[in-house]
Amino acid sequence: MTDDLLTRYNYDEFVPAKFEPWMRFDQSPPLGSKAPDFPLWALDGGETSLSAVWSANIYTIVEFGSFT
Amino acid sequence: MNTIAQRYAEAGVGSIFLYTNEAHPGEFYPHHTSMDQKLRHGVALRDVLGVSRSILVDSLDGACHRAYGSMPNMTWIFNQAGTPLYKSDWSDSHSVDNAVQYFLQVLDRRRNRERMVPFRVERLDYRIQDQQQFYAGLERSGPKAVSEFRDAFG
Repeated sequence: MTDDLLTRYNYDEFVPAKFEPWMRFDQSPPLGSKAPDFPLWALDGGETSLSAVWSANIYTIVEFGSFT
Repeated sequence: MNTIAQRYAEAGVGSIFLYTNEAHPGEFYPHHTSMDQKLRHGVALRDVLGVSRSILVDSLDGACHRAYGSMPNMTWIFNQAGTPLYKSDWSDSHSVDNAVQYFLQVLDRRRNRERMVPFRVERLDYRIQDQQQFYAGLERSGPKAVSEFRDAFG
């Protein structure tokens, strides 16, 4: 993890030059193939993973988002 | 989306909100500089926005968010094996509801011994565009978020 990546991903202002490079839905994982797994954190800081979530349910809805 | 989570929980459908980066950083909810801050924002999502689903937080560098396309408010549906069955570049409760109903019907059809194989479909769905609610969200982040959005999109 580089400081440059952290700074670019957590952009400090909503200007096209900063947010547009991240909008890459066309390059996202395809449907029908095993999806990549990642560590995630509960609000108390406890670590879990995306696979722990999807394996606990018949289906799992994951909404990505932020305050705005 | 909270309502859908409640509606299908008993059918074995889980639902989480995955907190990413701040799409419109403002004075009150600025861009993230630490994991502690990101976790605090996550708590505020629950307490201020009323997200009643389980909230999980991505890493500070957004590894999961970036791998899945980095859209600000997308929705994915996975099966228990970790195969994505549905992905939308924007979240819309009607679209998600429709998809969940369909996938639950597939389970019923399998129980009824229908032989099925998957195929891919593309569809253009429609979401409600509520400018008033959207700007209220920007104002919650702070005046900076409002002015930057106006500058970007008029």
